[in-house]
Amino acid sequence: MAIDVGTLLQILFWGLYAGCIYILLATGVNLIFGVMKTVNFAHGELLMIGAYVTWTLFSLTGLNPYLLLVATVPVLLLFGIAVQRLAFRPVLGSHKLNEIFLSIGLIYLFQNGAAMIWGSDYQSIQSPFASMAVTIGSFRLPLDYVIIIAVTIGILVGLQLLLRRTRLGLALRATSQNRKAAMLSGINVERMDMIAFGLGAALAGAAGTLWVVSGQVFDPYMGSVPAVKAFAIVILGGLGSIPGAIIGGLFYGVAESAATYTLGGAWKDAISFIVLIVVLVIRPTGLFGERGE
Amino acid sequence: MDLDRFRPYLTWIALAVALLVPAFASGSLYLLTTASIALVFMIYSEAWNFLAASGQGSLGHAAFFGLGAYASALTASRFGLPPVLTVLFGGLFAAGIGLLIGLTCVRLKEWFLAMVTFGFAIIIQTLMVSQFAGISGGWDGTAAPALVPSSVPFAPYVQYYLILAVLIGVLLAFRALLRGRIGLAFAAIRENEVEARASGIDPVRYRLFAFGLSACVAGIAGALEIHQFGYVTPEVFGTDISFWPIIYSISGGLGTLAGPLVGTVAVTVLWEGLRGIGLTYARFVIVGLLLILTVIFLPNGLVSLPGRIRAWRRRREGEGD
Amino acid sequence: MNAKYLILIAGLVLAAALVAGCTTQTAQPAALKLGVVSSMTGPASTTGRDMWQSAQLAADEINAKGGVFVKSLGNNVTIALVQGDDESTREGGQKVVTKMIADDKVDALIGGFSSAVVTAHQSAVAENGVPYIITGASSPTITRRTDINTSTMFHHCPTTDDYGAKTIQFVDEIMRPAINAKFGRPADQPLRMAVIYQDSPYGKGVLSAVNDTIAKNGLPIDIVASESYKMGETDFRAILTSVKAKNPDVVYPAAFLNEQVPMMTQARRDVGLNTIFLAVECNDDADYYKGLGQYGDYSIIESRFSPYTVPKGPISANVEKYQKDYAAKFNTSPGMMGAATYEGVYVAAAAAQQAGSTGRAALVTALGSVQVPEMIESMENGTISFENTFRESKSNLYMEQLHWDPATQTLRPKIVWPAALKETEFQIPDWYRPGSV
Repeated sequence: MAIDVGTLLQILFWGLYAGCIYILLATGVNLIFGVMKTVNFAHGELLMIGAYVTWTLFSLTGLNPYLLLVATVPVLLLFGIAVQRLAFRPVLGSHKLNEIFLSIGLIYLFQNGAAMIWGSDYQSIQSPFASMAVTIGSFRLPLDYVIIIAVTIGILVGLQLLLRRTRLGLALRATSQNRKAAMLSGINVERMDMIAFGLGAALAGAAGTLWVVSGQVFDPYMGSVPAVKAFAIVILGGLGSIPGAIIGGLFYGVAESAATYTLGGAWKDAISFIVLIVVLVIRPTGLFGERGE
Repeated sequence: MDLDRFRPYLTWIALAVALLVPAFASGSLYLLTTASIALVFMIYSEAWNFLAASGQGSLGHAAFFGLGAYASALTASRFGLPPVLTVLFGGLFAAGIGLLIGLTCVRLKEWFLAMVTFGFAIIIQTLMVSQFAGISGGWDGTAAPALVPSSVPFAPYVQYYLILAVLIGVLLAFRALLRGRIGLAFAAIRENEVEARASGIDPVRYRLFAFGLSACVAGIAGALEIHQFGYVTPEVFGTDISFWPIIYSISGGLGTLAGPLVGTVAVTVLWEGLRGIGLTYARFVIVGLLLILTVIFLPNGLVSLPGRIRAWRRRREGEGD
Repeated sequence: MNAKYLILIAGLVLAAALVAGCTTQTAQPAALKLGVVSSMTGPASTTGRDMWQSAQLAADEINAKGGVFVKSLGNNVTIALVQGDDESTREGGQKVVTKMIADDKVDALIGGFSSAVVTAHQSAVAENGVPYIITGASSPTITRRTDINTSTMFHHCPTTDDYGAKTIQFVDEIMRPAINAKFGRPADQPLRMAVIYQDSPYGKGVLSAVNDTIAKNGLPIDIVASESYKMGETDFRAILTSVKAKNPDVVYPAAFLNEQVPMMTQARRDVGLNTIFLAVECNDDADYYKGLGQYGDYSIIESRFSPYTVPKGPISANVEKYQKDYAAKFNTSPGMMGAATYEGVYVAAAAAQQAGSTGRAALVTALGSVQVPEMIESMENGTISFENTFRESKSNLYMEQLHWDPATQTLRPKIVWPAALKETEFQIPDWYRPGSV
């Protein structure tokens, strides 16, 4: 199958854009796992709630949806803190399976709660920049995607600054590296749990806004597929490794496109898991993962 | 009111109720159908719960449920064998694939395992609709002969008792296994794998055994369901089919034999009752909340409820003194 | 504190048990009892609600006129509907259909949306010999199954075979000559078509109908690409980029609304695939026009019931009245599956009148020969009737071309085919680029 270089580059660009959503989700999952050693399988539902919050605010105010990022992110931050406090903290330290079961309950709760509040119909909005494009050489790149990629980079840089340059970031990293030692040195680890979960939810909320802005349709069940991909990326990239999440995200984009071409579109989801299983059979902690937890 | 006095008879009471359901159901095929489907899901949930007893939580048991369904439906319709026999073949086939999948899974922990099992359900569904579409009928699915042909008098009742018999067989087998050496080994592995290894238990062998047997029973359940429906489509590999046994087992009582039974009855009654009062999405919300509340406040499920209430009353009385 | 939650859980379970125990049957006066199988819960609930509401509208209309005359009872009976929520699942469908058949003792069933859900409860229907007018499932296998007796099941909605056949007929009769003429190509030059199909019975059914129709009639249409994607996909850029490289003259997606809208938007906006898109009839919904906006300009959609246009001729007054009444009653606009279900209720009523009975067997016999004048969907020969082999009704599917009006910022359809129904001519936009010149 002959594909010229231009086409290939174009497909890579689409992958990069789709990767933004995955990377934001995967970074959130990683942050939460790093600090709490907990996996929230309902992470995709936070993406969905982020999308609906943006949509609701847009319908109410009619503001430029990019500006609504400023409103959606704090809402999801608080929501995440509430979910951590009410649902995850009580089971923290009990059997690990409990967290998985709890997440399943949350998936049912959030998906159908959203269907009750916002209805189960598909929704979509159009960005004010929908018809604008940037021309680079022979490419016509839609302006929205350029903005989305820039916003994602901005968020990731901001997160790195938060983690590396602030006292809060230091405390988060300390909790993530050694919980007991962090506790002994006076860090309130329970508060760190809440903040980490809140930040993870906020990242998912940002991804939700970007999803809506790019003109993609959404419904209460939209979160599960991107979330599953994000988890696969996290496992592939290694738990707790943020560079791993980014490389994993890009790798997945390529693997999915390759599978769509060679095996057919039906394999797009399955290929994620085949890669995942192969990796785990060879290296049970993922490609970049630290040994043990 | 001391529940303890009834405890020894509970099994017999439950059995009597199960045997009498068709009598209550006389004239209501709906009740009988609901009860038959509930029995199938009890078998399926027991299978999931048996795997959980070995410390492994699967998020993709629909893979085995569906494989059993397809294997049985295809052998029954292609070779004209009676479904009563092919159901067993469905179980064996699911067990074979289950052992292969188990080989990749037994060394994985918690959520790695969860993701991989979840993934296998999707991979198998994809195979069924693409590479194996010629055999499986692809998305169109394939017909499955009735478990009990309608020419048999009182077919729906015969079918109910047949499924009940399978359930009782599965329960007896699991009880024998969990009370014996295997149950002890499972508990040891679940609590502390390093210690278990030190005392000479090979966790991989026991985990693999749990995987194979659980897959086998789940396959039988899947086969029983689709012979009841008369048709099988790739939707049997769906996420909801993977999640129901978890909901039933957790709400009833993880790791206990009675748990999945109690959970299935409680959730089914809740589910159908909420339908009766016209709720739609709210039903899922309530089931989700029930699951969350159970995990947080009643980690041993509804079966531990009487004990918890007794303990709570004793504490109250103690305070009163 | 824990104990409170324990009591809460116990209370919930108990309350539900009581409710379940208390649902009793009240004695009904003589009525034609129709069970409506629709998904009130789950992913298909939007369509399900539409089906249930349209059935209610039909029943209310018939009852307002005094019901149906049934000879064996010597007087008119009313229509009583029973709601059957299949929860969009196989288990839910099986439970609710046996409930309606055995407990509610319905005389006939109407509805049934997803083919997977319908196949799982068909054997219960077959064993009890219940007449079933299927108005939603699009798989032709539904009434072609040989493992059970489907002779009581009647398919009143086009199948994937019909979708593909009619669309290809339109492409061959209208689009191919128009494109060849406009770009000065030889009249016999084959048209290059790309199919992008959902990996499901629906998508695969349309694909095989396309291939069969072309092969059977030896049409000069080349399928230059057939790409599949997973149900619910939202990112089609990679597929579209590869389709674009195959230089198609026209693209035919077999997709659902939530997939076709992003697909066409991405094709026109991102990938620069400046071609004419076709669409399967089930997308003809108000949300489709709203979602596509300017990116739907000049695209083609197959239809049998549209929210924004009414085919000329005998049925136009009926359609307008239906749309008005539906909007007045439910404060929302009606959809396509609802339209067929609405007619289904009338067809059942006509069968009862013809049979002079509400007995199941009598209804089945009557349905086999019933002739109902077309109502809100244009039918072949102007009547709703079921052919004898597979008991399918045949509707006159038509093709609409969509036009974007920058002044009102709305996208609206105009019927361009067949000749008997058309409002205007098919047009090729200036920005259109053919696959090869």
